[in-house]
Amino acid sequence: MTPRALAWRTITASPARAVLAVAGVAIIGALLFDMLLLSRGLLLSFRDLLESAGYDVRVVASESFPVVRLPVPRASALAAQLEGLPEVQEVAVVRTDRANVTLDTSIPDQAFSPDRTQEEPTTGQRSSQDVTLVSVSSAAERRAWQVVRGRGLAEAASGLARPPLLVSRRLAKDLDLSPGSTVMVRVVLAGAPSALPRVRFTLVGVAAFSFDRSDDFTAATTADAFRQTQAESGSDDADLVLVSSRAGFGSAAAVAAISQVRPDVKPFSNDELVSRFNENGFAYFRQISFVLSSITLGFAFLLIATLLTMSVNQRLGQVAGLRALGIPRRRIAAALLWESTWLVGGGGLIALPLGWLLATRLDHLLKQMPGLPERLHFFVLEPRAVVLHLGLFVAAGVAASAYPIWVATRLPIAATLRRDAIS
Amino acid sequence: MPSGADPVPGVRAALHFFRLKDRHSARRAGRPPSKREVALSHSGRGPHDISGAAYNFGVRNPSRALATTGLGVAVAVLAWPLLARPPRAVNDAVAATAPVRQEPPSASLDETEAVLPELLLSRQLMEQEGLRPGDVVTLATTPAGTDRTQFRIADRYEPTPDPTHFTSKRLEARLHLPDLQKLVADPDDPQASEAVSVLNVALDRPENAEALQTAVTARMPGLSVRPTSRPSDGTDLFGVLDRFHQAIAVVTVVGSTAFLLALMMMRAEERREIVGSLRLIGISSRTILGEVFFEGLLIALGGALFGVGLASAAQGLVNRFFQWQYDTPLVFMRITQSIAWRSVVFAVPLGVFAGLAASWTLLRRHVGSLVRR
Repeated sequence: MTPRALAWRTITASPARAVLAVAGVAIIGALLFDMLLLSRGLLLSFRDLLESAGYDVRVVASESFPVVRLPVPRASALAAQLEGLPEVQEVAVVRTDRANVTLDTSIPDQAFSPDRTQEEPTTGQRSSQDVTLVSVSSAAERRAWQVVRGRGLAEAASGLARPPLLVSRRLAKDLDLSPGSTVMVRVVLAGAPSALPRVRFTLVGVAAFSFDRSDDFTAATTADAFRQTQAESGSDDADLVLVSSRAGFGSAAAVAAISQVRPDVKPFSNDELVSRFNENGFAYFRQISFVLSSITLGFAFLLIATLLTMSVNQRLGQVAGLRALGIPRRRIAAALLWESTWLVGGGGLIALPLGWLLATRLDHLLKQMPGLPERLHFFVLEPRAVVLHLGLFVAAGVAASAYPIWVATRLPIAATLRRDAIS
Repeated sequence: MPSGADPVPGVRAALHFFRLKDRHSARRAGRPPSKREVALSHSGRGPHDISGAAYNFGVRNPSRALATTGLGVAVAVLAWPLLARPPRAVNDAVAATAPVRQEPPSASLDETEAVLPELLLSRQLMEQEGLRPGDVVTLATTPAGTDRTQFRIADRYEPTPDPTHFTSKRLEARLHLPDLQKLVADPDDPQASEAVSVLNVALDRPENAEALQTAVTARMPGLSVRPTSRPSDGTDLFGVLDRFHQAIAVVTVVGSTAFLLALMMMRAEERREIVGSLRLIGISSRTILGEVFFEGLLIALGGALFGVGLASAAQGLVNRFFQWQYDTPLVFMRITQSIAWRSVVFAVPLGVFAGLAASWTLLRRHVGSLVRR
């Protein structure tokens, strides 16, 4: 009989025990797998989120970004200056503000009249919702959102009397909006009544926004309409200026060029932002991932080692008998190693799907944190984590079987057989 | 500078920090001080952005609601215009680095230092830059050092620990409100000297926070009023983290229970012959189960107490390690009575249940199968 077959028979001799041991390994393994996913998940997701926008440099007003987010003054002039740099391919200006969106059914099909733009609504309001109102340069629209219903801002704006508005799917569902609806938008102040005028918009489409937050609603409009809602026709502040570097130069060259021509603003490459995020915002999850990975691995090692040791102690007479029959030590050791492999390997493999299932639940739980983009994830599946998980489990299994193997291969045959006979 | 006054945030601004290099030591040595201003570097990224906050402030004509405040929940009243669109001087203050201009001091050292306003610097900033009380530093609203003011360091202070920013270096300064306002005020804004960013308010009756929020918002449009207590529905950051930790604890307990059951089954198997013998001499299954119950109870209690003791011993190490790593007095781990009791309440029944379940698999067998070899 081969060592592998002997190990299999030993395990299947006590099926309940084996099932419980594999279940324990699987659950602890799932937790270890989750902590490995968490160890880099947020960083990977954050980088993916940044890169999916298609811009590799972000220009802000303060070095303290993103903790302190000051407005970038004279953003249009800045964008024009940056577009002239040879290292820069494309520039987009992003403006955001908080606004209240109200469905207005009082004039569903009337043509837009400039005189009525800032009137108060009369009747027919059904409900309203506070949203993040966004405006980006027209060239950046295709990267900031994807229209899923209706038309985009640029193609719809020319034929409309009222300014165009795009809303997120959640907002459309919440307010029962559809392309063609008329809505009233008023910029609001946090926790305070707003005296700013309401502006009527025509909803031209529903979009999936790249940076939509799970606890918020989003709407987008053109730069002119955005200024109209703020009642600041002369304001040219922006929250952020996005830059994509020209092929062949790269983000580092673009950052250097921007710093040289405009020392009053601070450009960040995606790498720099991810690095900052890694240093600050991600530190907690990196630490908890490291601590829990270490604890679960140590826990798994201890429990597997205890199980195997107890199993060997129960079978000392059997092991001594096998050795008395001439079975070499290395075959005994191989059988125990196989026993460990069946338990740890089985549990480790089950841990992968179980861990992923658990990770989706934990991710959902953590994403209830306020202010997170909907597309940001804490647990990201990557091959590195799977390989590391399997590697750590193999190491734990081998290490856990070391002591029982030592006991089994070093035991005195005659004394053990005698003890077993008289016990 | 009033000693012992509670630090109350007033005007918040990002400033740039400069130091008259070697002035202190040069004066002690009787040599003329260095006339060169040096911008402090931070990881090679240029001058520091530090947040300045007044610790002494006054408000003209405080409302009746604010005047009747006392102990209780603090409510932060945020001056929205300042936060949403900071004054231009502040905007300009946070900019990229630029060469520092070399300018001689306008007055002699002794005359200047005799009238210098005082400030407090955070312990971290003092330690990082090797500063001492009595040293003279310069704050400016631009990286180039224009619009600058010299201050004498009165003392150091420990910033209030902030769990949401525990990884950030607390490079901060506290100024008298008039000094800070003078430093950052927009000369074109006649209301600049009246503006503050934040007022902290303590209520006699904490449960009135919402009423105050409504009252102040209605009377002073433009202000944002926010209770500082955590929302009761657990939707804040720490509420979510609590639930995350609980979920991990539940998974760990489930995994441990499976292992425990497996171990107890092995333990019961070891005692198969003894149990068989006991039953052969007439001891009932109930008595054997009772013995197993009390044995399990004692072992589970011992294990639970050992676990609580181990965690209590570990908390000091964990806290000291992370406090050292992040240079903060924050407490990262605290074993409270409630947590200890919860652990015991979970662990003991689980241990007893595992022992009974494992023994039951033996006791339900025929006695002959137990003693057969």
